[in-house]
Amino acid sequence: MIDKHTNEREAILISANKYRWDIGENLHDSIIEAIYKDAEIISSKVINRTGDKSKFDIDRFIDKIVTSKWSGFPLMFLILAVVFWLTITGANIPSGMIASVLIDQIHPWLKNAAVDLSIPFFISGVLIDGAYLAMAWVISVMLPPMAIFFPLFTLLEDFGYLPRVAFNMDSLYKKVGAHGKQALTMSMGFGCNAAGVIATRIIDSPRERLIAIITNNFSLCNGRWPTQILIASIFIGSLVPPALGGLFSAGAVVFIAVLGILFSLIISWGLSNSVLKGEASTFSLELPPYRPPRILQTLYTSLIDRTIFVLWRAVVFAVPAGIVIWLVANINIGDASIAEVFINWVDPFALFIGLNGVIILAYIIAIPANEIVIPTILMLTVLTAKISGVGGGSGVMFELENSADVALLLQTGGWTTLTGINLMLFSLLHNPCSTTIYTIYKETGSVRWTLISTLLPVVMGIIVCFFVTQIWRLIA
Amino acid sequence: MNPLTALIFGISFLVIVFILFIPNNGLIPWLKRMKKNTEKELLEDILKYLYNSEYNNRKISFSALSKELKISHEYAGQLNQKLIQMNLVKIEQDNLVLTGEGKSYALRIIRIHRLWEKYLADHTSIKETEWHNLAETKEHELSSEETNRLAAKLGNPLHDPHGDPIPTDVGEMPVSKGILLTELTEGQFGRIIHIEDEPKEQYAQLIAMKLYPGMQIRIIERSDGKISIEADGEECRLAFMLAANITVIPLLDKEIIFETFISLSSIKQGESAEVISISNALRGQQRRRLLDLGIVPGTKITAQLKSLSGDPTAYEIRGASIALRKNQSDHIFIKKVETVV
Repeated sequence: MIDKHTNEREAILISANKYRWDIGENLHDSIIEAIYKDAEIISSKVINRTGDKSKFDIDRFIDKIVTSKWSGFPLMFLILAVVFWLTITGANIPSGMIASVLIDQIHPWLKNAAVDLSIPFFISGVLIDGAYLAMAWVISVMLPPMAIFFPLFTLLEDFGYLPRVAFNMDSLYKKVGAHGKQALTMSMGFGCNAAGVIATRIIDSPRERLIAIITNNFSLCNGRWPTQILIASIFIGSLVPPALGGLFSAGAVVFIAVLGILFSLIISWGLSNSVLKGEASTFSLELPPYRPPRILQTLYTSLIDRTIFVLWRAVVFAVPAGIVIWLVANINIGDASIAEVFINWVDPFALFIGLNGVIILAYIIAIPANEIVIPTILMLTVLTAKISGVGGGSGVMFELENSADVALLLQTGGWTTLTGINLMLFSLLHNPCSTTIYTIYKETGSVRWTLISTLLPVVMGIIVCFFVTQIWRLIA
Repeated sequence: MNPLTALIFGISFLVIVFILFIPNNGLIPWLKRMKKNTEKELLEDILKYLYNSEYNNRKISFSALSKELKISHEYAGQLNQKLIQMNLVKIEQDNLVLTGEGKSYALRIIRIHRLWEKYLADHTSIKETEWHNLAETKEHELSSEETNRLAAKLGNPLHDPHGDPIPTDVGEMPVSKGILLTELTEGQFGRIIHIEDEPKEQYAQLIAMKLYPGMQIRIIERSDGKISIEADGEECRLAFMLAANITVIPLLDKEIIFETFISLSSIKQGESAEVISISNALRGQQRRRLLDLGIVPGTKITAQLKSLSGDPTAYEIRGASIALRKNQSDHIFIKKVETVV
């Protein structure tokens, strides 16, 4: 029996193979054509179309405005500017509130409780000053901007505007070998790189998606804006008369953000002409009809899917990093802490490229979130410069209310204008935070692309800082 | 360190890194290529060369062989001795002839080569002028198990992107039905079924003329040494030597598509068109995506909206608004339809 069946099967396979030679290559085309024909016949039987299209088509009218040569770009810049303004100014208040509860009230209360319960210094340090504080910090600085930015962005998407932005921007991205939708994932990256990387799922062509993932880190994310603004106001704003200071430092921050966009385009071009040259590439972009955004649903999905999702990943990474931050400042080798030993060891190289050991160490141990880089830098500066009376002790991150105090502290730590400029550049060009790195790994499923997207910006940062420093020293 | 010295060091470091790693021309890719010429590869190249020569009824001597593979006469002799010992090649009347085993070995190599070219065409965006060279290396690397897996992944294709048949894993190959382009008479229609990819320079020239397998052509004129053809609505002039690299099958009257070819990119906003075909120049995932969107022969498409920079253009396709780039709409052939207002 079995033999008979196998023989029959073989015979069928052989004759099928013979037919294949005759049918030729475009079998797939013919199948799809046939499927569409059948579908058309079925749908014409069961669907009644009534009435004609109205003379005034609202979709076409809006499309005319948003894709016109005159109003297209101004409208786009205006809408994006409003979204960023709402995010940055709107996030300050809830951020302050969360910080005052989590950091100013609960943290001291926990410390006192630990003392009352006579928990050893070491354990309360690791758990409360390390793990808890890092987590509290990440929540208070990340949650409000994301909770404002993501719903706004999703509303624009839901309305149907964002695909038109991609449509308008596509020719620019085509020139660098990327997809127009990268304009959207890049904008999303200004909110959060991890969310930007997830957003690249809208790009269905494998090559263009990888390009968008790798270059997303060049969008200056929410966690880096405060660093940029603080450092610019201390080091750049002070170069000009006080009246112009604000304008000048704001200009410097915008310059860094634009530089990031420029880098993302250049790197996209480089990638699509080198390592990603061979990856498969397709293009299609659907312009969905406009529709009134579903506000409640958008709020729900963007808060749950994006905000909470990203925040959870950040917290998961912040806790161990907080422990590490506390430990390196408190475990001693000989008569100096690990932090000081490392800083002294890396200082010659760091100063050579115009940074300093504190900055390098801060960027290594504050990898979970860019938001805790400045608190870590302040803590490490106090630790290494042996300043007393500022901050909460070694291993406890802190921030100062007044930027003049920060300026004084940093200058005591040996910072110059050059250090400030290089920190701004390095803040733009360094590895993505661990949340983003993990997200890149999850999205690409490849160690290779994760490594490239992690190391490429750091290497670029080091190179750029090096050249800026040498040229600065040559001129000054 | 003095900043000037540091700068000079920095710049020279970047230059050195750049020279080492430029793809294709860099030192590291070059070193990788140099390592390649192992004996096994040469032996396999000889078998393949012999097979192709037999397929084209050419007789092969030692000297032709050593010239083709760019190795010394003695070395070619040694390698041949090896092949004869392995019972893959025999000598008949001073000519090298493949044994049955040698033939199936050669077919295996050709199978890998063509499958890999098919893979590159359908699953990557590597340029067609580079396929052959990459396949030349790959054909020595895959085991027969890997080859079968590759073939299954590609849907067991029968032809490589140049139109050459791909041998099955038991070594079957169909007999070629085509004739050379130069054998067509004036006014006759034909369809390109194969474009020879060697020599490289000539292949690049043919690709630059945008010729591809599956394309319908018509002989406009044959004059001394030159042949003029109409291909996708454009006139191409080819030297006879170049035209001999193209294999065609003559078309019967009922197979000829008479409409003049216009591409989708040529219609203006508000105009409508009916799809005739998607050019074979769009392959693999690109083609599949367009088909999935419902761009099949007979579909009605209306140009809707141009992006503010002129490219892409949004088209209404089956009720949806889809933006396509010009390099895609260039390859979708249509006939214009009167727009009913």
